[in-house]
Amino acid sequence: MSDVFPKWTNKLPIRVIFGLILLGGATVVGLTYYATPKYTRVGYQPVQPVAFSHSIHADQLGLDCRYCHNGVESSWYSNVPAASVCMNCHNQVKKDDPKLALVRESYETGKPIPWVQVHKVPDYVYFNHSVHVNRGFSCVECHGPVNKMDEVYHAKPFGMSFCLECHRDPAAKIRPLDKITDLDWKWDDDPHKAAELQKTHGDQMVHDWRVESLINCSACHR
Amino acid sequence: MKDLTQSPKTSGPAYWRSLDELSETPEFRQWVEKEFPESALEAPNGQSRRDFVKIMGASFLLAGMGLTGCRRPEETIVPFSKMPQNYVHGVPQYFATAMPSRDSAVPLLVKSNDGRPTKIEGNPDLTYGKGGTDAFTQASLLNLYDPDRSKKFLKEGNASTRSAAIGGLRSISSKFKANNGKGLHFLVQPSSSPSRKRLEALIREQLPEAKLHGYEPINFHHAAKASAKAFKQPVRPLPHFGKAKVIFSLDSDFLGTEQESYSHIRGYADGRRLKESDDHHPEMNRLYAVESLMTLTGSNADHRLRVTSGQVFSVAAAMVDEAFKQIGHSDDEAGSPIPALRSSLREKAKGIPGDPNWVVEAVKDLVAHKGQSLVVAGHRQPESVHQLAAALNVLLGNIGKTVTFLSDDSGSYESLSDLKSACDAGSVDTLVILGGNPVYDAPADLDWKTSQSKANTVVRLGYYEDETSEGCEWHLPAAHYLESWGDARSGDGSYLPVQPLIAPLFDGLTELEVLSRILGADEVKPYDIARTTLKGLVGDANFEAQWKQLLHDGYLESLRPSNVEVKSDSFDWAAVTRDVSQAITESSQSAVASKDSLEVVFHRDASVDDGRFNNNGWMQEMPDPMTKITWDNVVLMSRRTAAELGGIKNRELVEVVLNGRKVQGPVWIQPGQADFSLGLALGYGRTHSGRVGGTGSERVGFNAYAIRDSKNSAFGTGAKVNRLNRYYDISCTQDHWSMEGRAIVREANLENYEEKKDFAQNMDLEAHAGHIPHDEEGNPAEIYKHPYEARPSTHSDIHQWGMAIDLQTCVGCSSCVVACQSENNIPIVGKEQVANSREMHWMRIDRYYSGNPETRSKASNLIMDDEQPYQEWIDDPQVVNQPMICQHCESAPCESVCPVNATVHDHEGLNVMAYNRCVGTRYCSNNCAWKVRRFNYFDYNKRPIDQLYEGPLASRPEEDIDLIEMAKNPDVTVRMRGVMEKCTFCTQRIEQAKIAQKVAARDSGDVEVPDGTIKTACQQACPADAIEFGNLLDPESKVSKLKKSPRNYAVLGFLDTKPRTTYLAKIRNPNKNMPDYHTMPLSTLEYTESMGSPFEAHGSAHGAEGHGDGHEVDNHSEGGHH
Repeated sequence: MSDVFPKWTNKLPIRVIFGLILLGGATVVGLTYYATPKYTRVGYQPVQPVAFSHSIHADQLGLDCRYCHNGVESSWYSNVPAASVCMNCHNQVKKDDPKLALVRESYETGKPIPWVQVHKVPDYVYFNHSVHVNRGFSCVECHGPVNKMDEVYHAKPFGMSFCLECHRDPAAKIRPLDKITDLDWKWDDDPHKAAELQKTHGDQMVHDWRVESLINCSACHR
Repeated sequence: MKDLTQSPKTSGPAYWRSLDELSETPEFRQWVEKEFPESALEAPNGQSRRDFVKIMGASFLLAGMGLTGCRRPEETIVPFSKMPQNYVHGVPQYFATAMPSRDSAVPLLVKSNDGRPTKIEGNPDLTYGKGGTDAFTQASLLNLYDPDRSKKFLKEGNASTRSAAIGGLRSISSKFKANNGKGLHFLVQPSSSPSRKRLEALIREQLPEAKLHGYEPINFHHAAKASAKAFKQPVRPLPHFGKAKVIFSLDSDFLGTEQESYSHIRGYADGRRLKESDDHHPEMNRLYAVESLMTLTGSNADHRLRVTSGQVFSVAAAMVDEAFKQIGHSDDEAGSPIPALRSSLREKAKGIPGDPNWVVEAVKDLVAHKGQSLVVAGHRQPESVHQLAAALNVLLGNIGKTVTFLSDDSGSYESLSDLKSACDAGSVDTLVILGGNPVYDAPADLDWKTSQSKANTVVRLGYYEDETSEGCEWHLPAAHYLESWGDARSGDGSYLPVQPLIAPLFDGLTELEVLSRILGADEVKPYDIARTTLKGLVGDANFEAQWKQLLHDGYLESLRPSNVEVKSDSFDWAAVTRDVSQAITESSQSAVASKDSLEVVFHRDASVDDGRFNNNGWMQEMPDPMTKITWDNVVLMSRRTAAELGGIKNRELVEVVLNGRKVQGPVWIQPGQADFSLGLALGYGRTHSGRVGGTGSERVGFNAYAIRDSKNSAFGTGAKVNRLNRYYDISCTQDHWSMEGRAIVREANLENYEEKKDFAQNMDLEAHAGHIPHDEEGNPAEIYKHPYEARPSTHSDIHQWGMAIDLQTCVGCSSCVVACQSENNIPIVGKEQVANSREMHWMRIDRYYSGNPETRSKASNLIMDDEQPYQEWIDDPQVVNQPMICQHCESAPCESVCPVNATVHDHEGLNVMAYNRCVGTRYCSNNCAWKVRRFNYFDYNKRPIDQLYEGPLASRPEEDIDLIEMAKNPDVTVRMRGVMEKCTFCTQRIEQAKIAQKVAARDSGDVEVPDGTIKTACQQACPADAIEFGNLLDPESKVSKLKKSPRNYAVLGFLDTKPRTTYLAKIRNPNKNMPDYHTMPLSTLEYTESMGSPFEAHGSAHGAEGHGDGHEVDNHSEGGHH
C-alpha cells in the first residue's frame, strides 16, 4: 500500500506552490515591463508616406510648430496640416521635387495624404492641447525633441503615470508662454542652475497663474 | 443614532406614487424591498451562468487565435487637402436653424461636431421661448439618424433612383401644365413656411384647376377661427402667460400638449416665480384649470375642476354668464344680443357637477384682476368654447394686454373629405401627398386607404416608408429639417431660417423642391427658393447682408410681424350669440357622459405626438409626464368609472366601442380623471413604423385612430367598454424607488409661506432636533467628518459646483430628461428592460400625488389594502413634480462602499464615475438613498433591444451602428456593459468652459469661469428656467443666491450627506374663497398630522425639548466647507 505514493511525492505540493509563485512573479514582472506603454510605444517610428523632416523645417529653417499645427492653441486636437499649407511654400521651393509628388497630388486632386498616426491617447482620455500650450506646457514635454527628428518617433510613454508625473507637480515643467514652441529652450545651460530657476519660477508661475494640480479622474475622463 | 436610520414611518406616506403603492400589493412590496427588482439577486433569465461561461470560453479561444500582435494597429490621420475657412478640427460649431412644427416652428441653435449635428438647443436670442425647447425638439435629432427612415426612392414599391423620380415629377409637371392642373390634387400638412405659401400661391395661379387639400390629425385651429369670427378679421390670438396674474384654462394643456408649450411654460414660469421684496407681499400668479384628463396644466393648477370634455362648454357658459352678472353689463340696451346669449348660456350651465361657487369665486378672482387675467381654451374644445373664452377676455379687459393678436396667415385648404369625394368620383388623376400619414391617422369613417387607392397616380413624399406609402406609384424619401433649406415662422410670427447642418444623408427631397418641380419652375433648389422668398420680403437692396444676418442670428428683427390692432369694441356679440346659441342647441341633443355612454377623449401623446415621433426611441422611453408609462398608450379612466363598470382593475385589457368601431387597450386608473371620460392617446399601434415603433403584428400600444371618426375627432360620447378578462404588461417607471411618505417635496400656500418663510427647513428629521446629535453649542453635529475638512488639499478654492432646482416653476414637462439623454449618450433599453427597472435616464421626474385627508380616514393611510384605489379620496389629488438627479453629496454614501474607487469626489465637488475602474458590483447603487445610479446590464449601444439576452451572438448591422453613432456626443464616453453611470453635472461642459477660460487667461490668474457660462443640458433645455447651476464659491452667482433662499432644502438632508443639488420648496397660491381651498397643501396637511406643522416652532407636535427660536437650521446650500 505504501507504494501508491512514492516518497518523492511528499515534496510535490511544496514544489508546485513554489513553481506557481515563480511563474506568477515572472508574469507580473513580464507584463509590467513588456505590456506597458514604456515598452510598447516608446520608440515607435512608422514610415510616413511623405518623407517630411521636422528637423529641417523646425530646426534648420526655424518654422514655428504653430505654422502647420495651427489648431493647437484653440482645439483639443492638434491638426496635421492640409496639403494646401505645404503648398504655401512648396509652390515656390522645391517645386518639382519627386519627394513632394504626393503632396502636389493631394493638393490637386483633393485626395488626403494618409499620415501614420504616431501619438495617440485612448478614447477614454480627453486630452486637450489648447489648455496645455496656453498655460505654460511645451510640446517637448510630451512629444520629445521633435525638432531634432527626421522621422517622428514616439519619445515618451503616454501612460497614465506619465501624465500624472506633471499633473502632480506642474511647477517642475511649467515655462514662460513665449517659450512653448521653442523646444530647445532651457532656463540655463548649467543644469543645476536651470533646476534651481525652474523651482523658483515654476512655483511663482503656478501661484500667479493659479495653475491647479489636477489629479482627479474628471480632469481627463468624462 | 438609532433614530436616524428610521424613516418617520409612523406618519404613513405623505405621498403615494401609484395606485399599486397605495394598495400595497405584494408586487409593490417586492419592488420596494428590492432596489433593482429581478436583477440584483437573480441571474438574467435569458441565459444561465453556465451558458455564459461556455460562450465566453469559446470567444476567448477565438480572440486568442486572432491575436496577431500586441502593437496597436496602424491608424492614419487624413488631413484636408485644402483647409476650409474658419474651421478648426475639434471645436464644435453652432448654427441657427428652426424645427418646423405644425404651423409654427421652434427657433434653434444646433451644435455640430465635425460636420454632424449632435445636440439641439433653443435659440436664446429670440424673445419667444428664450432658448427653451420641448422634448420633441430635443428628440428630433434622433430622427435624423434613424436607421429605419426612408432611404430609397421607390417606384411601385421597388427601388428606383433619384434621377428617375425627378423624371417622374417632370412628366407630372408637363402633363398638368397642358391642362391647367385638372385632376391634380395635393394633400399637405399645414406649414408656417413663407416659401411654401409662395409656391402654393404660384400653383393656384399657374395651375388654377389643381386643388390643394390640407389635413392634420390634431386640429389646433379653433382658437384662430373663433377669433376671426368674433373680431371679424383674420387674426389668431397670442396669449402672454407671463403678464397674467390669474390664468384660467378651459381644457387647455398649455404646459403640455398644446402647441408652443415651450414658450407658454416660459411665460407661465415667469409669472409663477415668487416676486419678493422687502416692502410688499410676495407675489405669484394663480392658475385655475377645468379639464377631463389629468394633464400637466391641471397638475400645476391651484384649483382644478374635474369635468368631462363635453362639460367644459357648460363651465365656459356659466363663467360668461357670471362675468356679465358681476361686471354688470347693461342688459336693457335695445337690440342687444346679450340677454339672449345669457339665457342660452344659463341653460347650458345647468349640467356642471360640484359646487356652483367654484365658478362664481373663480370669476370673482378674474374680475378682480381685470386686464391682468387670461382665459385660454384647449384645442380639443369646439369653436364656441373658444368664442366664449374670447368673450371672457373681452369682458375682463385683457385684449391688448394679456392677449394680443397676429394676422392669421395659415392659409385655406380644401378638406380631406373633399379629396375623398373627388377620389371616389374618379376625378383625381394625380395625388401628391406631402408628409403626413393619412392612411394611418385619417378619421376612421373616411376609409381613406380605399379612397387613396382610387387615385390614378399617387406620389408621396415621406420621412418613413409607412402606412400611406403602400401602393403609391412613387415614394420619395423626405429630408430631415437638419438636412434642408427652408424658412418658417415661430409662434409669434418671427421669420426663422431652416438651414441644414449636413447634406441629405439619403438624398432626400424637401417639400419645397417637390412643389417647385411639379410647378415646372426653373428654380428647384430649396436654397434658392428660400432666398427668393426673403428677397420678396426685404427687397433686393442690401439683400446679401440681410440673408447673412438671418442665417447668423436665426431671425430677422426687421421681419418681426407687428400686432394686429384688435379693439374690445369690435367684438361681434351678435355673431357670437348666434354661433354659441346654435352650438348649445345642437350639443344639448348629444348625450351626457354616463356609465352606459362614456366619453372618449383622443389626445395628443406626450411621447409620440400624433404618431410622428413613433419610431423615436428617446420619446418612446420617456415616461409620460403624468402616468410615467413608457412604450405604450393606455385607456385612462377614473376610479369611479372603473368601479361602476364592474370593478375594472388596473392593467386589465378592455375593448372600447365607439359608433360600432372597436379598439383594445389596457386600462390605467388615473387619479384626477373625470368620471365617465376615457382618455386615449393617439399615435400608437402603428403597423408600418419601424423597429422602435412597431411593424406588422409587433405593435407598440394600440391605435386609437381606429375608433376616431370625423364627428368625434377630439372627443365624443356614446362609447362602451367590454371587459376581456385578460391583463396586459405595462412598463411604468413610477413604482420605482419609493420614498415612502417623507417630506421629499415640501410645499406651502402663499399665506403659510408669508407666515414662516423657512418652513421647508423646518420639516423632516433635521428639524426635529431631538433626533440628531448636537455639539456643545446646540447646533446639529456632523455625523461624518467632511472629506474636504479631513483632507483640505483635495478641494479647489476656485470652483465648487452646485445646483438649485426650483419646484415652484418646474412644471414636469420632461424636456430635460430627453436633453440629458441626447447630451450624455444615454441608451434606450426597451420595454422589457424598463419593466425590470433598468431604464438608463440620468434624470427622472418624480411625480407624487397627495390625497385630501378630510375625505380619507387616517387608518387607510397606515393599513392599505387592495380596495383602496377605489376609495373616494384619490379622485381629486394634488400633484407635485420633482426632477431627480445625482445629488452630488459632499459626503457621498456611494463613494464609501465602492471597492475599487471607481466613484470618487473631485476637487470641485463633483461625484465622478471613472468607468474604466468600475467592475459593476452595484454596491454604490445599493447605498444611494436617492436611487439615481444606473447600471448597464447589457451592451445597449451594440445590441438590438429585442436581442439583448443573446449577448455577443446578437449584433446590429454595421450600417445601423454607423448611423446611430453619428448622434453621439464625442465629448462623453459611450459606456459599455457592466459599468455604473449617473448624472455628472455635465462634467464635459464644465471642463470645456474651464479650458476656454484658461486658454483666454493664458499667463494670468483669471481662471474663474464667470457665472452663467456653464449651462447643464437639463438647465439649457428647461423652458421654465427652473434649474440653476453654478459656482458656490461666488456669492454673487445665481445658484448661490438661490441657495440662500429660505425655501432651499435638501432632499433627505437628515442623512447629513450634504447634497450639492438642493431644491426650493413649492409655493401654491390658492384662493381662500374657493370651495376646494385647503389651509395648506394636501401633502403638508398629511405631514402635519404626524410630524407637526412646519409653520409653527418646530417639534411642538412632539413636545420635544430644547427648541429655541434661535435654533439654526442646517442650511445645506454652502458649497465646500468654508
